[in-house]
Amino acid sequence: MQATAPVCAPKDFKSDLKPIWCPGCGDYGVVQAIYRALAAVGRLPHEIAFISGIGCSSRIPGYTTAYGFNSVHGRALPIAQGIKMANPDLLVLAAGGDGDGFSIGGGHLPHAIRRNPDITYIVMDNQIYGLTKGQLSPTSPKGLHTVTSGYGSLENPVNPLMYVLSYGAPFVAQGTPADLPGLAEMIEEAIRYPGFAFVNVQSPCVTYGEEEQQIKAHKASMKRLSELGHDPSELIRALDVSQAYGTELHTGVVYRNPAPPPTFEALVRARQQELAPRALPPERILDLFLQE
Amino acid sequence: MSTTRGIDFAHLSLQDALDLAVLIEEEARERYEEFAEQMEVHHTPEAARFFRFMSGNEEKHRAELAARREELFGDAPAAVTRAMLFDVEAPEYDEARVFMSAREALRAALRSEEKAHAFFVEALPRLEDGAVRALFEELRDEEVEHQRLVKVELSKLPPDPGFEPDAFADEPVAH
Amino acid sequence: MTRDLIIGMAGSGGDGIVSAGESLISACAAEGYHAIMTKSFGSQIRGGESSCRVRLAVDEVLNPGGALDVAVALNWEDFLKFGAELPVAGKTVVIYEERTGVAPDRLPLVGITPNEVFAVPIGELARKTAGTERAKNTVVLGLLAGWFGIAEDAIRRGFRKKFAKKGAELVEANDRAFEAGIEYAREHPLAVSRKMESVPTPGAKLLTDGNDMCAAAAIFAGCRFFGGYPITPSTEVMQFLSREIWKYGGTTLQAEDEIAGIGAALGASFAGLKAMTATSGPGMSLKSEIMGLATIAELPLVIVNVQRGGPSTGMPTKSEQSDLFQAVFSAHGDVVRPVLAPTTVADTFDVTVEAFNLAEQYQTPVIVLSDQELAQRKEIVDPIDTARFELVERRRPTASELEDYQRFRLTDSGISPISQPGVKGGNYLGAGIEHNEHGDPTASGSVHARMNEKRFRKLNSLRRREDLFTIEGERESPLALISWGSTAGVCREAMQLAAEKGLKVKLLVPRLLYPVNEDIYRSFFTSVQAGLVVEQSHQGQLYRLLRMFVDVPADVRPFCRSGANPFRPLEIVDHLRNLVLSLQRRLQESLQPQE
Repeated sequence: MQATAPVCAPKDFKSDLKPIWCPGCGDYGVVQAIYRALAAVGRLPHEIAFISGIGCSSRIPGYTTAYGFNSVHGRALPIAQGIKMANPDLLVLAAGGDGDGFSIGGGHLPHAIRRNPDITYIVMDNQIYGLTKGQLSPTSPKGLHTVTSGYGSLENPVNPLMYVLSYGAPFVAQGTPADLPGLAEMIEEAIRYPGFAFVNVQSPCVTYGEEEQQIKAHKASMKRLSELGHDPSELIRALDVSQAYGTELHTGVVYRNPAPPPTFEALVRARQQELAPRALPPERILDLFLQE
Repeated sequence: MSTTRGIDFAHLSLQDALDLAVLIEEEARERYEEFAEQMEVHHTPEAARFFRFMSGNEEKHRAELAARREELFGDAPAAVTRAMLFDVEAPEYDEARVFMSAREALRAALRSEEKAHAFFVEALPRLEDGAVRALFEELRDEEVEHQRLVKVELSKLPPDPGFEPDAFADEPVAH
Repeated sequence: MTRDLIIGMAGSGGDGIVSAGESLISACAAEGYHAIMTKSFGSQIRGGESSCRVRLAVDEVLNPGGALDVAVALNWEDFLKFGAELPVAGKTVVIYEERTGVAPDRLPLVGITPNEVFAVPIGELARKTAGTERAKNTVVLGLLAGWFGIAEDAIRRGFRKKFAKKGAELVEANDRAFEAGIEYAREHPLAVSRKMESVPTPGAKLLTDGNDMCAAAAIFAGCRFFGGYPITPSTEVMQFLSREIWKYGGTTLQAEDEIAGIGAALGASFAGLKAMTATSGPGMSLKSEIMGLATIAELPLVIVNVQRGGPSTGMPTKSEQSDLFQAVFSAHGDVVRPVLAPTTVADTFDVTVEAFNLAEQYQTPVIVLSDQELAQRKEIVDPIDTARFELVERRRPTASELEDYQRFRLTDSGISPISQPGVKGGNYLGAGIEHNEHGDPTASGSVHARMNEKRFRKLNSLRRREDLFTIEGERESPLALISWGSTAGVCREAMQLAAEKGLKVKLLVPRLLYPVNEDIYRSFFTSVQAGLVVEQSHQGQLYRLLRMFVDVPADVRPFCRSGANPFRPLEIVDHLRNLVLSLQRRLQESLQPQE
């Protein structure tokens, strides 16, 4: 990474609000990784907007000193795009859980991606609905027994990595708080990437998850893609590796489009500049209806 | 999974080694502080008190090592950064549990000391600098002493009754 | 001897306070008492402050009550966080953990001196007898059993059942902790005995809550499809149905969002099944578009809103009655849909069955406005005789009606026979677009006017029904109370207390809130000079709604406030008394000779 003199330290991004998360929750590591990533990027807290939906993980903006917006369930992406369109110079982050992002918010995901705003979207994926007491989520494995699938879930889980890749996301990564330095680095890289960047974090739920699938288990099972010789510049390789979602815990950059497509903000600005010379002064707008 | 990245133990200088030792203590101190805060928020006061005590200990060690570093090397820029180490002496995030007893908290600390000890033991054969070796041996022996102290504290505690706290505690709340 | 006891307890989540309350109410049910238990929490997922109130009585319990008869504080910091939810008075027996170090004559209760205060070494007793401080809640149960004579044997039986799977050692440890509490109570008797009278002939009782009653009623009424989404405080309705509905050949779908949930339910209704969705305020907002579709497509659908603190995300774990405007008015276009509101936990069963009947009969979405308190409070109720219910099915077309089938045929009643996929000759287009009798899309003003008129007229017979209202007290009383939902029970008790103080009040409780039955209110108000409309919303929504449709007497005033500030019977009596006094003063002044 570039060695720029840090403007802020990680602790400058930590707010005074105490998390409601259960001790042992993976999200404690995720927020630390975000503090580090923001410090490394070098933007000041007041230049950053952090938007989330509803869920345990969606509380995260309140635990940073950035401008936060803990909005409503599944609607973080539309709101984040409105903020970015209004002020493209802001650093915009969006976050939420797997339910918030892939269930109720799932309909917004393809449209956010195909517009390609320069936004970083972090999903804390724990395969359960924690805030409402343990119902199944769209990434819950088939057969999982929960309070709403007492006889075992009948549905196949979604594959978030394939989702976003097939919608056309130019930057896709997966991490875990079990490797905090690695997670901080990939979040930093996601923020620096010019375009829609998606980071799926396997952040286990200590209250409703299996005891054998907590952070300790991640440390043992995680496989760094960089050590497996994965080439993140080819979409086909990325799609291939993402098929292992649910069976393998691959960490690192899954896909990084080597030719970042133009961002939505850039295209809008270009059109505004092109059409500006044709504008009538506001006080002369009714001239449009003038019959000469 | 190794707990350090990008550290060339063979060519580690004494300054680097001291910086590394300081960061190890700093990471542990911060993690114990985090845990203490979590425990306070979650009404688990005995574990909170113990984690505060541990964070104080780690800070003491850090300060000692930092003072030594200052004396020998002043404020020369450090090459070793926090990004190069993770969970060396700091208890892992999922060591924390709501309602954990003081005994469980001490056990978590003991595991962390054992982990740190193993780190120094494993690194020693790879070190080539004599002064660095001496430092690591000293740190290794200190970990043994820390473990002994924690074990003494453990022995003073009454035994866990063996009942899970969940047997009596309320169910989680839906929001 | 006492016949009515209100117990409030607070500690942290790890202390098992709510667990103790549940053991207690369970045991009370076994002994034939009536009871209501409510809970309240801090915002942490686990290990936050937590509290519960248990009100038990020999006779029917109408509401959670006012000031506590017994307060148990495992630590004062957490107890005080609950403020007005755990009101301590002079009459309160205060029991608290000795190790807090607080002196009995220096309790942190501003301006209140309880008559009896006990600093009990609860934690120490737990550790000594059960080997763990975690058994504090069991010691507390022992203290309550010992001091107040509550359900000793039933509590013991309860432990056996609860801990049966966890081993004999745990059961015995619990027993010892329980005994320790009882013994302590015996050795430190109350100055004034407050032992509970026992129930003479305890009959069978149900222990349940509003959400369970709602879901059970749905199965009973014939509901065979549920589509929904988890949202506090309604999720238990979906969870019950996800366990039971399969057994009846039905389906429960936890959809990807609120909108998909009601969409799937509407589809099931179009296909001929009785269908339901359940949610809270935020979900109702999301579902409003599909509800409008159900209205214009004239499809039966039951929508349960378990109201919580609003607006927006509001307070998910707190009760409020502020969604009435939304239930009545939240629709674009001219829409009227029935809105029902249960008034007790048992009543939630009746009202939900009625909701399905209305939905089927009038081919319309029906909203059930429950609230968090009714939905989630545990209550001991007398068994419900389901034989007294009649179930209504939608009017399906006869063979001759299928010969030239018009889905939206204009009839005298306004209700048209409704076909469904699979029925030969009954094919039709269901849609949100305005349509003629056949179902063809139209933009004709006259057709649209006739269709709106039809959709409104079909509900006329519902407007005239009187059985969905209860009036208690003296019919000709000049002093009145009107209330709905969980507040109704508080008003019932207020009415009784007022009578004891010489104030004769009558009470009207509507279960059908909309459309407004103007005749019932008109005749109720004839004798009324003054009164209160009591409800938990900042705006006093029922009061405002009534004023839209009925001439409400000028001195019938709203007594309303935001949720999470529950009403207590005595404050309603005081408010009534003050109202009467101010009116008397005004009358006196008007009679003074002019200077």
